[in-house]
Amino acid sequence: MKARKVKGLEPASTVGDNAERIVRTRLAELCSFMPRAGDPQEVEALHDMRIAAKRLRYILEVTGSCFGPYAETAVKVVKELQDLLGELHDCDVQLPEVASFSRELMLADAQAVLVRSPKRAADLDPKLVSRAPHRADYAGLAALEVFLRARRDLLFMTFESQWQELERKGFRARLEYAVSERAGALRPD
Amino acid sequence: MAKAAEIAVDPFESFAAAGARIVAVRGHELFEHAEGVLDTSDIERVHAMRVASRRLRAVLEIFAVCFEQDAFRDVLTDVKKLADALGERRDPDVHIDAMDAFAAAVGAQQRRGVQTLTNRLRERQAAGNEILASALQAAEHSDLAGRLQALAQTALESEPAASEPVEDPEPEA
Repeated sequence: MKARKVKGLEPASTVGDNAERIVRTRLAELCSFMPRAGDPQEVEALHDMRIAAKRLRYILEVTGSCFGPYAETAVKVVKELQDLLGELHDCDVQLPEVASFSRELMLADAQAVLVRSPKRAADLDPKLVSRAPHRADYAGLAALEVFLRARRDLLFMTFESQWQELERKGFRARLEYAVSERAGALRPD
Repeated sequence: MAKAAEIAVDPFESFAAAGARIVAVRGHELFEHAEGVLDTSDIERVHAMRVASRRLRAVLEIFAVCFEQDAFRDVLTDVKKLADALGERRDPDVHIDAMDAFAAAVGAQQRRGVQTLTNRLRERQAAGNEILASALQAAEHSDLAGRLQALAQTALESEPAASEPVEDPEPEA
C-alpha cells in the first residue's frame, strides 16, 4: 500500500512543524480504514491498516518527544494495535499456506494410490487409501487449520473491541491536539 | 533483541539536522546486528537485524526531503533490498516457531502433519538464508554502511539552502 503524500515538508523548518504534518497525515490514513476493516472478510483492508499503523508508530517513535504528553502514550497504543493486526495478518498468511500444503499432499497421495492399483483393474480398491504415504499427516493439518481459523476469529474480536475503546477514549482528537503542542519550551518568535 | 538507541530530538531544531543525526545512528545500528545473522539456530539475530532495517527505512522515508535525491534513491533501494532479504529468512522462522509451539501443544496423532509442514518450511528457511547471504554480500560490496553515513551528511550540507521544496517520496508497504 502506497502511503499518502505529505505536503509542505521543509528541511530548514523545525522538526516539530514537519513531524506534525506527517503525524496528521498518517493518523488520518490509519483512521480511513474504518469502518471497512471492521468487516472480518476485508483481509486487504486489515493488512493495509496494519501498514498504516506501522507508519504512524514510526513517526511517533522518532518525534513523539517533540509534542504534548499524549503523543508518547499514543506510541504504545499504536504499537498494540499494530501488533494485534500483525497477529491477524499472520493467520491470514498461514491459513492458505496450510490449505495449499494439504492439497499438495492429497494430490501426491492420489497418484501413489493409483500407482498401487493393479493394472487393468476395473475400479479402485478403497483399501489402498489406508496405505497412502501421507495418511498420517492429515489429522494434524486439519487441526492446525481449525486452530488458525478460531484464533483469527478471536483476534478479530479483540481488534474490534480495541478500536471501539480507542474511539471511546478520543484517541484521534487527543493525538491531533498533542501534535499541535510543543514539548519543553515555548515556541520561539 | 537490542533496543534502538534513544535519540533526543528538539522540536525547534531543523528537520534536516535531526534527519542527519537519526539516519546516521539507525544506519550504524543496522550493521551492528549483521554478525551471526545467517545462523538458523538463533533466530533472534535475524529478527533484530530486520527490526533495525525497518527502523532505518522508516527514518529514511520520514526525512527523505532532507537528502541529496540521487544518493537518497540509491540508498533507499538498497536498504529495501536488504530488508526484503531479511524478510525471506524471517518469515519462515516465525512460521516454524508457531508450528513448533502448536505441535508441542497437541497430541501425537496430530503432531506428525505439523512436523511434515515444518520440514517444508525449513527448506524455505534455507532458501531464505541463501537470499540473505547474497544481499549481505551486495550491501558490503556496495559499501551501503558508508553510503548511509555519507547520505546523512548531505542533509547537513544542504541545510542553508534547504527551503526549496523537494518531491516527497512514496513509501511502500
